[in-house]
Amino acid sequence: MAAAALSAWLTLQPGTRTLRAFCTSVSPATRSAIPSPRTAARTSRYERPLRRKALPPRTEKMTVDQDWPSVYPVAAPFKPSAVPLPIRMGYPVKRGVPMAKEGNLELLKIPNFLHLTPVAIKKHCEALKDFCTEWPAALDSDEKCEKHFPIEVDTTDYVSAGPSIRNPKARVVTLRVKLSSLNLDDHAKKKLIKLVGERYCKTTDVLTIKTDRCPLKRQNYDYALYLLTVLYHESWKTEEWEKDKTEADMEEYVWNNSSSEKNILETLLQIKAAEKNLDVNKEELLATKEVEEYKKSVVSLKNEGDNENTLSQYKESVKKLLNLM
Amino acid sequence: MAAVAARRWLRFRCKVCLTLTGQRAGPCGQVPNCRFYSGSATVPKVEGPNVTGIEEVVIPKKKTWDKVAVLQALASTVNRDTTAAPYAFQDDPYLIPTSSLESRSFLLAKKSGENAAKYIINSHPKYFQKDIAEPHIPCLMPEYFEPQIEDVSEAALRERIKLKKVKASVDMFDQLLQAGTTVSLETSNSLLDLLCYYGDKEPSTDYHFQQSEKSEELEEAAEENNEKSKKANHQFGNLWRPKNNAERIFALMPEKNSHSYCTMIRGMVKHRALVQALNLYTELLNNRLHADVYTFNALIEATALSAREKPEDKWNNILELLKQMAAQKVKPNLQTFNTILKCLRRFHAFGKMPALQTFREMKAIGIEPSLATYHYLIQLFYYHENHSKGSSLIIYDIMNELTGRKFSPRDPDDDMFFQSAMRVCSFLRDLELAYQVHGLLNTGDNWKFIGPDHRRNFYYSKFFSLLCLMEQIDVTLKWYKDLIPSVFFPRSQTLIDLLQALDVANRLEVIPQIWKDSKEYGHTFHNDLKEEILMLMARDQHPPELQVAFADCAADIKSTYESQDGRQAAPEWPANSLNSIAVLFLRAGRTQEAWKMLGLFKKHNKIPGNKLLNEFMDSAKASSSPAQAIEIVKLAGAFSLPICEDLARRVMANFAISQEQKEALGNLTSLTSDSDSDSDTSEDK
Repeated sequence: MAAAALSAWLTLQPGTRTLRAFCTSVSPATRSAIPSPRTAARTSRYERPLRRKALPPRTEKMTVDQDWPSVYPVAAPFKPSAVPLPIRMGYPVKRGVPMAKEGNLELLKIPNFLHLTPVAIKKHCEALKDFCTEWPAALDSDEKCEKHFPIEVDTTDYVSAGPSIRNPKARVVTLRVKLSSLNLDDHAKKKLIKLVGERYCKTTDVLTIKTDRCPLKRQNYDYALYLLTVLYHESWKTEEWEKDKTEADMEEYVWNNSSSEKNILETLLQIKAAEKNLDVNKEELLATKEVEEYKKSVVSLKNEGDNENTLSQYKESVKKLLNLM
Repeated sequence: MAAVAARRWLRFRCKVCLTLTGQRAGPCGQVPNCRFYSGSATVPKVEGPNVTGIEEVVIPKKKTWDKVAVLQALASTVNRDTTAAPYAFQDDPYLIPTSSLESRSFLLAKKSGENAAKYIINSHPKYFQKDIAEPHIPCLMPEYFEPQIEDVSEAALRERIKLKKVKASVDMFDQLLQAGTTVSLETSNSLLDLLCYYGDKEPSTDYHFQQSEKSEELEEAAEENNEKSKKANHQFGNLWRPKNNAERIFALMPEKNSHSYCTMIRGMVKHRALVQALNLYTELLNNRLHADVYTFNALIEATALSAREKPEDKWNNILELLKQMAAQKVKPNLQTFNTILKCLRRFHAFGKMPALQTFREMKAIGIEPSLATYHYLIQLFYYHENHSKGSSLIIYDIMNELTGRKFSPRDPDDDMFFQSAMRVCSFLRDLELAYQVHGLLNTGDNWKFIGPDHRRNFYYSKFFSLLCLMEQIDVTLKWYKDLIPSVFFPRSQTLIDLLQALDVANRLEVIPQIWKDSKEYGHTFHNDLKEEILMLMARDQHPPELQVAFADCAADIKSTYESQDGRQAAPEWPANSLNSIAVLFLRAGRTQEAWKMLGLFKKHNKIPGNKLLNEFMDSAKASSSPAQAIEIVKLAGAFSLPICEDLARRVMANFAISQEQKEALGNLTSLTSDSDSDSDTSEDK
């Protein structure tokens, strides 16, 4: 086995020696430029075998109007001999300058985008236009896109250099939908929000479902759609135990049958009683403008929290209600 | 590189939203419309949107393409970088090869590294079982070269044949016969195939590498001389020994079908047992079997290679074979015609008519000729490169036919076309034709047909020499920057051609740049190139800045001579170079160094030219130093140059010299004039 490899090696040698007549003629001088033990031993005049000299960097030969995307067509490490810019990088010593680009590890470590100059990107886009289809003419604004295609699905593909093309992060699927585009009534919406919990964002009214429990992207995508379907249908159903919803479960403050209503009713009744106005109706009381205003201010205070606006509204409504003004 | 994330947004209608009325979702299906990247956009017609009334959202059909289409599209936006070495080399100033020898050895080193790695993996397969590649890459896994089946059976024989173990399979076959089992016809045929392909020898690991080398050498040998080619056959190539295993097994086979005969014939022809091949063919005919087209190709080659026959007889034999082929209803293929043409081209003058007939026949049958066909035609018609006979114009017809066509490899000799075409262009001194050939090379994928290193070098050398000869200097210089050294390393002769072109166009200021470039790719020690450069620089007077540049260049060349001195026992400084360097120093005002050069003359025993001495005299006059002038005269006297007298006269006339100096001069001149008068008197007598 070893002999076979060795003979293979040796038979490669004659290939290098057979020079065709019209190949570059090699004078003995250039041969001896390549260090070999024979010449070093033979001639004692030399101090050491000649070292191979490096060529000048090819930046010297580059013209100013060359085609740069041809020099860096793909993502490649920074080559100081190929980039004609006098770049410096590195922490300088005291009273010094940052290190030059030759042999500079800092420049090699960082990712460079020399292959994506604006000119290159423009050329790439031109070439890729063939692969694109036209945008549908009817979808010329964001709102129309929202209207026709309310669901957005995000997937990510990963590309890297290595022996394997698989990446476990590629199976993640994110599905986003605005609840306003779903057909939900009040109860269904509240139930849905309770069901999904953290996945609903109140400020943007967006439900985000992120799935990665299945090994494949397609499976995760199907699962996300399934989840959406199930949520929708479930939120429309009403179970018996939902009647037991207490005030602590309520998401927002509801005036009717609340303690605040009772309190104000009692207060008003007491006021009326003090004024000797006995035959007065609860509903009539509640229907008066001041009570309405009071109701609005309490609701807004409870729902939106304390701020200048709500507090001043409350103050005004209480004053009006208690005839303090 | 770091992982790059590509986000793909997919928006489409949710099937759940039932109550959105009025809109029809367009077809968002994945109907594959197989559109490969062929350059032409073939998007199928989608139903146009209804502009009137309700707006319909029409989603166009998704385009599909093959796996590399996007890469190919992006690749079409970049061109070759003219300052870079070929991509196979490391792009570092220290590691770029500087000559064809170096580039070949670098590539061989890379390949031998791969071979060594493969060898290690295959000899210790148990350490390389872990496979992290996804999807699986079979060629990176260890290969098994040892036959697994140990018992004596036909399956074992088939396995050994598959693993290409010649000796083992022959042994297995013999064992099977001894054991009495009959071997099936198919297996015997495949065993015969193995034996005939490798000529009854074990295939070595670089079998294919050697084969291609040998076939090229055979080609060139055959071109030169028929008898030499016989010697070449004996030196290279694997000869068919009579009574070898293939014949033995063939004789042992109880039944032979046409496949067996055909394999034997093809093996015999491949290993140059031509007479036996033809005999076996007659046997095949006697058994009323039919041969296939590959066998006929081999037989045609056998007929043409058989020696000691006149071309007419050989041609008649070939026609006989073709008639038999037609009688057996075997359709000829491209190889048939190429083999015929390959044989015809050895017939030189006689072969022209039959070659054209063959070509027309090929067209008539409908077989598309390949590049090898045209190569043979060119070789046939342009064999003798002498101008006395009128050159044929067939190259123009060929190029007209080929322009703009893209080829795919169909014949092993396809890569010889461009070399021979450029040779003809160079011979005919036709630049337009050369541009046509080069344009064909750059069409589509035809660059793959340029062939191995030496052929590429030959092609580009000839092309560039033609450009230097015939094209305007600006265009030539553009080509120079484009081609050298990223495409090929020029020889000294090519650079000398370029220098002469510069001379003709009066652009000598480019010479220092060319010298600097040529040092980079190994011409530092090529004396003829240096002499030419120095001669061109020193020939005429030039404006001062140019002189300075020239003088710097000359100093550089001088240093190369000196370093060459240090490394060789016998220094060789050509006289012309010394002259030129000294002149250039003088003209640029570097008189110190110029005077040092004079000393070198003595050291290397070379004689300074008359013009040089006159220039020295002028410079001495310009600097008004009589000592220098006298030095010159002394030097001239030392060499016993006839010009010594003239110089002495000039010194005496133009310089203010003292009496002793005048006497010294007189001595010098008297010496020379004495010898003159002696010769005069001898002539008188």
